[in-house]
Formats: sequence, structure tokens, C-alpha cells
Amino acid sequence: MTDDVGRTESRGAGWHVPEDDLRAYARGELAPPSLWSADTHLVACAPCRAVLAEMSDPAALDAGWERLDAELDAPRPGFVESLLVRIGVADHTARLLAATPVLRLSWLGSVVAVLVMTVVATNSIDPERVSQAPTLFLALAPLLPLAGVALSYGPVLDPTYEMTVVSPTHGFRLLMIRAVAVLAVGLGLNALASLALPSYGLLAAAWLLPALALTALALALTPRLGPVAAPGAVGAAWVALLVAAERATSGSSGISGASDPSGSTLAPFTAEGQVVAGVVAALAVGLLCLVRDRFDFSSDHRSAA
Amino acid sequence: MTSLGTTPSVPSVSAAGLCLSYGSTRALDDVSLRLGHGVTGLLGPNGAGKTTLLRVLATAVPADRGAFTVLGHDPGTARGRHDVRRALGYLPQTPGFHPDFTAFAFVDYVAILKEMTDRSARHREVRRVLDAVGLSDVRGKRIKRLSGGMRQRVALAAALVGDPGFLVLDEPTVGLDPEQRMRFRELIATAGEGRTVLLSTHQTEDVAMLCNRVIVMAGGRVRFEGTPAELSARAAGRVWSSTQRHPGAKAGWRTGTGAFRNVGDPPDGASLVEPTLEDGYLLTLDASEVAA
Ligand SMILES: Nc1ncnc2c1ncn2[C@@H]1O[C@H](COP(=O)(O)OP(=O)(O)O)[C@@H](O)[C@H]1O
Ligand SMILES: [Mg+2]
Repeated sequence: MTDDVGRTESRGAGWHVPEDDLRAYARGELAPPSLWSADTHLVACAPCRAVLAEMSDPAALDAGWERLDAELDAPRPGFVESLLVRIGVADHTARLLAATPVLRLSWLGSVVAVLVMTVVATNSIDPERVSQAPTLFLALAPLLPLAGVALSYGPVLDPTYEMTVVSPTHGFRLLMIRAVAVLAVGLGLNALASLALPSYGLLAAAWLLPALALTALALALTPRLGPVAAPGAVGAAWVALLVAAERATSGSSGISGASDPSGSTLAPFTAEGQVVAGVVAALAVGLLCLVRDRFDFSSDHRSAA
Repeated sequence: MTSLGTTPSVPSVSAAGLCLSYGSTRALDDVSLRLGHGVTGLLGPNGAGKTTLLRVLATAVPADRGAFTVLGHDPGTARGRHDVRRALGYLPQTPGFHPDFTAFAFVDYVAILKEMTDRSARHREVRRVLDAVGLSDVRGKRIKRLSGGMRQRVALAAALVGDPGFLVLDEPTVGLDPEQRMRFRELIATAGEGRTVLLSTHQTEDVAMLCNRVIVMAGGRVRFEGTPAELSARAAGRVWSSTQRHPGAKAGWRTGTGAFRNVGDPPDGASLVEPTLEDGYLLTLDASEVAA
């Protein structure tokens, strides 16, 4: 340890690559993101290169330089990719995710904007009605992850779709990597938005099970209906269901009256509705597993037949 | 990996009875073929079924009927399909890119899809293929800033990454200017050494300059399979030159010298000329139209 400190000082003030890292680097075992830091630094810092040379045997050093040379024009990882690596995602998986169109900042930005507008609109509703459900938010929130997952794969938005289909990486595995990431981001943003609606309590989280049900259902129907029609149909069914529930609720609220506190809660967001959503989600996941091999081929193929 | 089946009697790719319909369109109608090492040209007019055949052989879509093997693997099973895909390089007819990726990042992405998880080995391989297609200087440039010819080379580099034994190229020279096309042909010729390349095109020039075998397709069927010389030979004794377009010719066009070149059944006393690949191709297409 004292040895380390002495050498570090001889390399001057400021940050230098730690000796442990340099040793790992010399063995070719340093992993990102430390590897990126070391690469960047070594290019600019002669003292660190000297220390590296000292601790490496000549053969390993040659391999190291060759690698460093390759790293120089390696892609500088973008924001999303670095973040993923930092939280422990393997760097090749991070690249697969970074190539997901919906994980780009422009997309995330629009999702955030939609949520903020909904929350503001919900909060600014007449205070007398605050005891009622935040219907607009609850109706919209499940559609965001559905749209995100739908837009994260398939020939419509992935320009490299044809190449990914014929790659040895199984289509279903790629789909799951992307869907889980998009779902995590979408659910996370929704959860933050729910926190901004504290007056509704737990009810503000009633979007979660419908969101999972819609997303899983859309994926499970994709091999049959195609990557556009499946999420489209599921989204449309959701809206139709809400409209029907709205009719039923406004029809019955005159009779059951204001004494029923949940009188204005639409059916999908009641306890019974949540159970149904959970069951649909579970069934859809089961169906999705059954049809997983259908994701191994291009989806433009004979949706009729 | 690429040294499998060097003798022509053991084809690297063989297909039997492939059929595929889109609704009522028979895009592939009982297609059988055998491919060995070197570059095979797949020649045919638009709508002949070239892209469909390449997509089936590249495992992008399953055929309705028929079977094929690639380097001994059967893509009809999940295991075999995985093995085929590991040995495959594919350049689609309209290759897509992530335009914000650099050339390096894009080829690196495709290498990851090809299951190359070791970072430094992968990066070495990406550099190797970018060097091979002459893009070392622009590997750090975003793809949206590259010219059409350069993008096509990025796509070829992506197909070549991982040293695949079977390379499928769908009209790779379309949209390139003549100089770029020459360069690209050289790249493909080099890529054809020691591996099996299937290249679709509607230009006989590509076949004449690149291919040691040629398959002619029309209306979803194979109309000819053989060497380019054999295809030319089909027109032997059926090409003549005249000062006027001959009314009985199946096709006739004015050549650079001003004389007409006629293909078909020559009249008595016609001055016959040496047939070319183009003549053989025209006659093959004509015969297939009569047959259809
Ligand atoms: N995805 C598709 N859906 C419907 N018809 C298609 C599709 N792809 C190709 N076809 C039809 O199949 C035939 C063969 O097309 P294709 O294989 O693209 O020919 P080529 O590549 O030789 O021009 C054409 O008639 C074309 O219209
Ligand atoms: Mg085509």
C-alpha cells in the first residue's frame, strides 16, 4: 500500500489510474467502466504509461498496446450505455439496449412530458372531486409502457431488424432484454408520477397491473397479429373498456349515490378489476412463453395464412 | 470454420424443393440448388424471387415447403438454425443502420449480435473488417455523415464480421457509381476466397466479372444453373449482327459501333458473332416467358 502511494505521488497531482487497475489492465482483465477511464487516461499520461510498462512483461504489454490502439477508436459509450454499465449491466448487453430506439433520450423526454402534463391536469381538477379517482392518469399510464415496448423492436422502428433476426442472438432473448428495460423505465416514470399524486393514496398505483397485462398481451399476440396491429388492438381494447366502464359508472352512480366512496372509480381500478388485470397478465405471460420461437423469424411474413 | 467442404462434390449449401407464397404470389416455386466455394451470382429481373430466396437461405423467413442445409447444419431445427446463423453474413437489399452510431459502433453492435462477447477480441475483429473494406479512416464518423457507397461498405463489413463461411449479398452493387461498383466487386471477389458467397443482381456485368457460377431465376423458378461460360454458350449460333434491327429477333439493340446486335433464330446468311453472358441471359429469360 505504501508502495502504491509513493508511486502515485511520483506520477504527480490529479487523478491517475490506480495500481491495481493498471495491473488488471496489463493482464487484459480490467472491465468497463474502469477500463474506459484507464484507456482515456493512458493516452494522455506518460507517467502512468511508464508505470504500466514497469509492471508488465513485454509480451503482455504488446497485447495491451494493441488493445489500447483498438480502444482509441472504439465507440465512446453514450449516456444510456454508460449508465447501464455503471449499474452493473454487461457492456455488450448495454450496447444492445443502447440500440433500442425508445431508450434514446428524445423518447424518454416525450414520455416524461406526457406524464407531467397528465399529473398537472389531474392535480388541477376541481378540489371537490379529489376524492374521486385520477382517471385520466390511470387510463394513460398503462399505455405508455405498452407503446414503449411496442416501439422497442420490430421492423417499424428498428432499422436493423432484418440483420438482428438472422443473428445468432435469439429474437425472443433480444426482445426480452429490450422489453424488460423499457418496461422498467416506463414503470419507474409512472411510479414517480404516482408519487406526485399523494392525495389519491394507493389508488394512484392502480395502473400497474393493467400496464403489465396490456404489455404482456400485446407481446403474446404479436406473432399472430404483427408488431403494429397487436399493440394497436390491445391499446384500442383498453380505451374501449374504459369508455364502457365510464358509461356503467356514471349510469350507476346516480343510484348508489355519494355514500359509496368508490362510486366514481372505473371498474378496472377497483379491487375486482385489479384481480382480473393480474390474471390476464399471468395468462398473457404464459402464452408469450409458448409462442417464443415465433420471434425467431422476420415478422413481415404472411400474417394472414 | 471456413475450411468445410472444399470439394465441389460436397456443397456448402444445398436446397431442395423450396416453395414460398405471399398470398397468391408464388415467390419461390420449387427451387433447388447447390452452392460450393466461390461467388455464385443469382441473376434475374425484378420480382423474380431473388430477395425471397436469399431471405429463406439467410433464415429470415421459413419456406412453406422444402428443406436446405448450410455448411452441414439444418435450419429447420432451433439448434441447427443457431449454427447456421453463427456461420452467416447477410447484407440485406436495403440495409438499415442506427444513423447515430459511428461506423465502428455499428459493426461492433452487429458483432455483439453475433455473440462475440469478449470485448478486446471483438474490437480487433471490427477493426479488421473495417480495414478490409477500406473504411479505417472514417470508422469514427457517424453513419448519417457517410456517403451511400461508404454505407454500403459499412454493411458489407457488418456482414463480414466474425469471418462467416456463408455470405449472402442482396443486390450489393445497386445505387453505386461505376467506380464504386468496381471497388465493391473487388471486395466481394476477395471475400469469395475460401468461403461460399451468394450474390443477387440484375446486372450481367456483375456476374461476368465476379462469379464462377450463375443461377438464373424468373417467376420464382430456377431457369439456369451452371458456369457463366455455359450461360453464354446457350446463345451460341443465335447472335448475329446486322445494319438494321432484324424483325424476327427476340431482342435487338444498337451497339457502340452502330451495328445492330440481334438475339434469336438467325436468318440464312446472317453474320454470326461470339455470344456473351448477356445474350445467354436474354435467351434464358425469353424461354422462361414462353414456358410460363
Ligand atoms: N413481403 C412481401 N409481401 C408480399 N409479396 C411479396 C413480399 N416480398 C416479395 N413479394 C412478392 O414476391 C415476388 C418476388 O419478390 P422478390 O423476392 O423481392 O424479387 P426480386 O428480389 O427478384 O426482385 C414479387 O412478386 C413480390 O411482389
Ligand atoms: Mg430483390
